[in-house]
Amino acid sequence: MNCEQYREAFASEPGKSSAEAAAHVAQCTECATFRSDILALDKLIGRALEIEVPELRMPELAPLGEDDKVTTLPYRRISTPVWLGLAASVAIAAVLGIRLLTSDTGYPTLEAEILAHLDHEPQALLVTNTPVPAERLQKVVSANADMDTSPGLVTYATNCVINGHLVPHLVIQGERGPVTILLLAEEMIEAPLPIEGEGVRGVILPVGSGSIAVIGEREESLEKIEQQVASAVHWKT
Amino acid sequence: MRFDRLVAGMHKDMYRYAAWLSRDPAIAEDVVQEAMLRAWKSLDALRDDAAAKHWLLTIVRRENARHFERRRLETVDIDELTASQSAMLAATDDSDLDEVRTAIFRLDDEYREPLVLQVLLGHSTGEIAELMNLRQGAVLTRLHRARIRLKQIFDGDEKGSAQIHGSTT
Repeated sequence: MNCEQYREAFASEPGKSSAEAAAHVAQCTECATFRSDILALDKLIGRALEIEVPELRMPELAPLGEDDKVTTLPYRRISTPVWLGLAASVAIAAVLGIRLLTSDTGYPTLEAEILAHLDHEPQALLVTNTPVPAERLQKVVSANADMDTSPGLVTYATNCVINGHLVPHLVIQGERGPVTILLLAEEMIEAPLPIEGEGVRGVILPVGSGSIAVIGEREESLEKIEQQVASAVHWKT
Repeated sequence: MRFDRLVAGMHKDMYRYAAWLSRDPAIAEDVVQEAMLRAWKSLDALRDDAAAKHWLLTIVRRENARHFERRRLETVDIDELTASQSAMLAATDDSDLDEVRTAIFRLDDEYREPLVLQVLLGHSTGEIAELMNLRQGAVLTRLHRARIRLKQIFDGDEKGSAQIHGSTT
């Protein structure tokens, strides 16, 4: 490690040190001075940033009606009995298994199939700040695409079958709740297709020779996410 | 009440983050109020209280962006500060501290925000990258440049000072 490397590393993360950095600074007086200066500066920065905070003023929080709430599982029909949901899951799994072989979806439209798919994968829609490991994300996405940049905090990634094709199914944390992203390499469409579900909305957007689906809460700002995913994704086929 | 507990514990961080993002305590108060309302409506979606800090700061960040989109605020002119901005910068008896505060205030947004997140809010560079939707390498570069610019100012380096006085929005 040379002086430039040391200083760059230290000035970006003063709280982090490595054996290599410690060895360098132990024998370089100039870098030791730089280190002291940055530590002193950081103390000042920390104090300077602690501006006075006014007393907490809670807004008026009216009791929420069901329509106001943003729930974790927006696609689930709450009145559906558990046994019916389980039975439906089994049925869907069987249908999807058959569909993978036959490519006959049984759904009237791609939008309907996507909504049905989300309805039966509620475990994807947890609010969490635990990211999917980078290796897993890479593995899932690589089923049909590459992505230059992550569209956000990806908290769920798996491959699913949509319209008979294996599709990366990702969830990122949006402002109003989880946002679902499907990378549909095989679904070439000419124009955006809106998706309207129970409490959710989204769109299927044409991207090159394929398309992407982005679905979130009704009040979620999806446009930026759509743009980020559309510009980051590259199909493999 | 769960919401009160979460917000009370995070209120200072939310406010300070909003204030350094917007560079205006008055705007920060509005942003935090709006963020709390949005958080209240979305509370059922927060399954893991350990994720509350990241969640609330994300809401604050987006509310701040919305505020500026709505208001279409122009460049902040350091020589024409509002009363609340002036109060934010000169609220101590320590002139060194006020100078640092002013220097941070003048940093470009792209450098000021990661510095606030790291030094004030204790975020790791990985967490900052997630929040700001950047690569971790970009965060490291910005943090390095932010500190070097501040150091140049206090070392009396005119070049650094000139860089930091660049346009800010």
